[in-house]
Amino acid sequence: MALSGIQIYKLLPQTNCKECGFPTCLAFAMKLAAKQVELSACPYVTEENKAQLAESSAPPIRLITLTGGAGKGAGGEVKAGNEVVMYRHEKTFYNKPGLFIRVQSAESVAAAEAYKVNYVGMDLTIDGFALEADSPTAMAETVQAVRAVTKRPLILISQNPEVLQAGVSQLPGEKPLLCGADASNWENMAALAKTCGCPLTVRAESIDGLADLTEKIKAKGVEDLVLDPMTAHLGKSLALYTQLRRLALKNTRSVGYPILSFACNATDELAAASQAIAKYAGFIVLSEFRPELLYALLVLRENIYTDPQKPIQVQPGIYEINAPKPESPVLVTTNFSITYFAVANEVEGAGLPAWLVVCDAEGMSVLTAWAAGKFDAERIAKAIRGFDVASKVSKKRVVLPGHVAVLSGELEAELPDWEIRVGPREAVDLPAFMKQALN
Amino acid sequence: MNHTVTFTLPNTLQPLSATVPTGALLTDAAHQAGVEIGQPCGGQGRCGRCAVQVLQGKVRRRSTLRLSPEALAQGLALACQSVVEEDVAVFVPQQEKLERNLTTDRIASAVQVPEGYAFAWSQSIRRVAVTLSPPSMDDQTDDWSRLQTALRSRHKLEKVTVSLSLLRRLGERLRANDWQVSVIYNQADPSHILDVRPLEDPNAPLYAAAIDIGTTTITFWLVDLITGQVVAQAAEYNGQIARGEDVISRIIYASKNGGQEELQARVVETINHLCEIACKRVHAHPQEIIKAAIAGNSTMIHLLLGIPATSIRLSPFITTVNHPPAVAAHEIGLHFCPDAVIDCLPGVASYVGADITAGVLASGLDTTEDIALFIDVGTNGEIVLGNRDWLVACACSAGPAFEGAGVVHGMRATTGAIEEVWIDGQTYEPTVRVIGGGRPRGICGSGLIALIAEMFVTGILDKAGNLNLTVPTKRVRQGEHGSEYVVAWADETETGHDIVITRVDIDNLLRAKAAIYAGFTVLAEQVGLTLKEVQHMIIGGSFGQYLNIEKAIQIGLLPDLPWEKFKFLGNTSIKGTYLALLDAEQRTRIAEIARRMTYIELSADNTFYEAFTSALFLPHTDLSRFPSVETALVK
Amino acid sequence: MPIEIPKEKWTGKVRVVTLGATAAEGGTRTRVVTVGGQACMPFLHFEHPTPHPPVLAIEIKSRPPTDWSPILMETWGEAIRNPATWAAAAEAAGAEMFVLWLTLEDTPEEATQAVRAVLGASGLPLAVFGPGQAEKDNELLVAVAEAAKGERLLLGICEDKNYRTIVATALANGHLVSARSPMDVNLAKQLNILITDMGLPADRIIMDPTTGALGYGIEYGYSVMERLRLSALQGDSMTQFPMLVTVGFEAWKTKEAKVGEGVPASWGDWQQRAIDWEIGTAMTLIEAGADILVLRHPESVKRVKAAITELMTA
Repeated sequence: MALSGIQIYKLLPQTNCKECGFPTCLAFAMKLAAKQVELSACPYVTEENKAQLAESSAPPIRLITLTGGAGKGAGGEVKAGNEVVMYRHEKTFYNKPGLFIRVQSAESVAAAEAYKVNYVGMDLTIDGFALEADSPTAMAETVQAVRAVTKRPLILISQNPEVLQAGVSQLPGEKPLLCGADASNWENMAALAKTCGCPLTVRAESIDGLADLTEKIKAKGVEDLVLDPMTAHLGKSLALYTQLRRLALKNTRSVGYPILSFACNATDELAAASQAIAKYAGFIVLSEFRPELLYALLVLRENIYTDPQKPIQVQPGIYEINAPKPESPVLVTTNFSITYFAVANEVEGAGLPAWLVVCDAEGMSVLTAWAAGKFDAERIAKAIRGFDVASKVSKKRVVLPGHVAVLSGELEAELPDWEIRVGPREAVDLPAFMKQALN
Repeated sequence: MNHTVTFTLPNTLQPLSATVPTGALLTDAAHQAGVEIGQPCGGQGRCGRCAVQVLQGKVRRRSTLRLSPEALAQGLALACQSVVEEDVAVFVPQQEKLERNLTTDRIASAVQVPEGYAFAWSQSIRRVAVTLSPPSMDDQTDDWSRLQTALRSRHKLEKVTVSLSLLRRLGERLRANDWQVSVIYNQADPSHILDVRPLEDPNAPLYAAAIDIGTTTITFWLVDLITGQVVAQAAEYNGQIARGEDVISRIIYASKNGGQEELQARVVETINHLCEIACKRVHAHPQEIIKAAIAGNSTMIHLLLGIPATSIRLSPFITTVNHPPAVAAHEIGLHFCPDAVIDCLPGVASYVGADITAGVLASGLDTTEDIALFIDVGTNGEIVLGNRDWLVACACSAGPAFEGAGVVHGMRATTGAIEEVWIDGQTYEPTVRVIGGGRPRGICGSGLIALIAEMFVTGILDKAGNLNLTVPTKRVRQGEHGSEYVVAWADETETGHDIVITRVDIDNLLRAKAAIYAGFTVLAEQVGLTLKEVQHMIIGGSFGQYLNIEKAIQIGLLPDLPWEKFKFLGNTSIKGTYLALLDAEQRTRIAEIARRMTYIELSADNTFYEAFTSALFLPHTDLSRFPSVETALVK
Repeated sequence: MPIEIPKEKWTGKVRVVTLGATAAEGGTRTRVVTVGGQACMPFLHFEHPTPHPPVLAIEIKSRPPTDWSPILMETWGEAIRNPATWAAAAEAAGAEMFVLWLTLEDTPEEATQAVRAVLGASGLPLAVFGPGQAEKDNELLVAVAEAAKGERLLLGICEDKNYRTIVATALANGHLVSARSPMDVNLAKQLNILITDMGLPADRIIMDPTTGALGYGIEYGYSVMERLRLSALQGDSMTQFPMLVTVGFEAWKTKEAKVGEGVPASWGDWQQRAIDWEIGTAMTLIEAGADILVLRHPESVKRVKAAITELMTA
């Protein structure tokens, strides 16, 4: 069970020595509770308390890392596990589930390998490939063929340990996911996983079946396991994955492993893969390379795995309200979503056309951002120039929020050819201001 | 290009003028001409109180915020937002006089000398009588060596140090007093001589000062270290107010050219003035003050010491120093004994300063076994939660709404302020109590809290703070700034105008109360507690003296705890400062409090925002947190 | 030893809300729609049965839309020329109810006419949404509510700004309201409190917590919905309302759905992507607790319906 800051504090020396880098033991304890710092930063905690703290901070879901041919680093690794909550708002989801494309042909591998799509400034790609073969030779050949075009981590699929062995032997230094062990082959699979040090999936239709296998395999000395609950049925998988996550969070160690989803076997792959992303999968196998599907899933994964503790922001940029024309007014605000919505809704609701320039103020409201120096004349000027507002309007006149009237002078200096107007302080007064003062 | 700006003032025949370049602000010109124009928002163009009337010529108005079309037609302009581009003549209306002397002897009588106080034990300051053999042609020893020798032989003071400023006075002092003087020094290794004075009786008062620099008010206690008694008190508005009502405005002002120096001078001037008033009362001279302990929020302390405060405002909000070293009075311009030890008490973070550590000291939060919550409501609401084992603190920017700012008819708690309101549930007619008993001029913090509570329980406001326009009374109406409620009709008021509370005022007040309540909840959550577990609720700040707990709970400002758990301590900062001034042990304790207190930055994540929006409702989105209000509403 | 499946012991459940009234109930609908009643998080049948699966509504407009994606325009073809034909086509496409969205150009007479036309063309329950400008919404919805008295229409958009008028007319004319708040648990709850404080029975409230589309803030709506649902299950009566999400509106205003040319090749096939965008948004929100999904494309309706069927079986 995770301990609260005060509970952890009671196990610390309470000397406020500051050697951990925090001003007080309580501050350090709260960081520990939030898992933002390592216990080892405290040089004075007793061994006994250390053990107790370590127990409480052990991740309920084991972290599993697959590595590919490029070694560690960008694109070379896929991680799953270490999750601590059922619902993302409780903290955050940490390790984005890896998206693997099932290998159909060499051409599809090349296309998927090259796939890259930009989403809010980030390049998103797939994570790896899943390959299946029915003989050791076929496996070795497929692995070689795939490795000729990609270095991304792999999932090797076969019920036969020898086939997997043949694949692994082609991948020196890598940690592909071996898929996998079931009730009939688990001993040999465990032996293989132990020898090659690769993570291994366990297949079973029930939770008891999964737990039984993980315990037996763990007893053989293999700890890096992944669960394959063998269903892509939307109703069943939702229930099973939810139960597995719940059990894991309640420290049921026998199922404290990431889940592998074969969304590729579903009736509706989009529905199944979306569910797997939101509801607890660690690795997801897709049937084929289809850009539009991949794009939607990559974006959904980014969205769901966004840290919800960060302030809600809108993209900085220039927003069009009620189809503005070149002579329509230019309004400025910050990218705190509530602020943005307040302004946009008032103007939109009043049916007034306007250009709304949203500045990057790190998600703070106008006054807070201004007080913290995140919404100043320089930033506003940068936004107005950066979004090339001048090219869209015929009248270079910008309306500042009334709360930052103080910036008008500096902004005049920053934007010499613009007329700076100070608007009302509250969004609710904007329509009246726009009707009366901006003519 | 240069332009002449001419200022006409009421009751002054001769106009004042200044020559300024194109682009200068009217406030710059006024400063140059020696004309006082108050800028309560620090020249941000937010408060509208620097409005002047342009009689001749034109100025470019960057902002006309807070000026009505009629006002504009009359030529009014905000001095801090108006740019000079040609010769102009300006009329400066009568400036609002800051009311001085909130001096409070009724509190003075209540200050108890801490039990067991004994000068010799509690203080490291010593006063000894020294008689020197005068120099002669035969005895050519210099004055300083002569004094050192005397201190060594008679008082066993082996190592002593002295400042240049004292050396400058030493010769004159020794000779003027016929080589018989009292030497005051701070006992240490080496001991430091603070003053050399005419011979004093060992029981004669030895003066020191406890000072609380509030953003709004500065409080000064004159203390006799021999008896430990507070012998005089004085308080008045911080002279910096004219340059910004809140710390952020001041920091901004300080960053302008000359602003830092001006603000430093203004606060020192206020302290010196208070010191004079207090000293006069006991026929003492400010130069007799030998020691002072000072508390204040971190910005106030930075500004007092002339340390730039810019980094306090900017993320990640770091001070230059939380625990400044002691300085000599003359270094910062205080008219005490030049070498008087000025001890600025330790703070914790940018927004949890020495005023809070002193408050904790005074409230005894750091020694209780039970969990206690301490709040100091001022322009910021600082909150401390804890007990003798741990302390956490946060600051929430409640804004100055409860101090009357940001509210159309808001004012400070002085004569003419409505401080209590009752509304009849049938007729919606209010009854008010006015400070001083005369006609009302405005509404102060406690009045605003009472007003919102009454409007809420009588159904004039819904839970979101919307005015219900269907209530059958002409007091609820559509005004210039949206819907409003008339608290007093023009013919009942001092000003001759209706006193109203508008929808915008209500929003500001709800935001202020939500910020404070959110501070409570977040702080408690951070350490894994609920507010129900709080055993003592200690309220400090001037606010606490007038507050109606029931109404504060009804609007969701204070947690719904049994009334006996609330304790009002008034200005805890000055009380803690006094304790730290008197007793070395308490001084150590306050340093320990500062060291132990864990500061929680509320803006670090969404938790505060969540708690804030949920508190932005009457009394709260989660009514089950306010069972007493729930019961009252059912009735 | 078999592992015991942990079941949550919730104390609350979502209210059951019925939209539409049959002749026997004072309306003219031949079918009604019932949502709500869940006593656990979505589709966890091992904890509690799901009494009423999510309902799919199709969005139609009082006059032909001018800013819709060409894909939608082509799909609906001539049907969009008037609300009655559109409603009939939507019913054929699998709609279980309609959302008739009025526009700023509508007069109260035109709005009531459009509502009458839809009510006449189909027996399915109807939601009527104003254009989203408080004053205009009040004007149109009051007229509509009076004209369709007793039909148990779902009236929207009821926001903090205009809730008094909409709730009053819903109360007077036997309708329901769709309470819309901007993606915030507290604001959603506050609006529900204000509405119930006016005396509208709780089984006549649907809440619309607002959502973003996939890629455009869906995570906020998603978490707000999960939190509202969890709060309802924990016994907070002011969050125990079924939730409506305007998936089609959000998904089809994205560039991904609207634009076919001049976009990156990595976005893939336009038609497929646009529909995937609507389905992806819908499926994600269904699993966060959506009870009524307002969609735009027939293909989405078909596939989401199939997915719901699969989710309803364990």
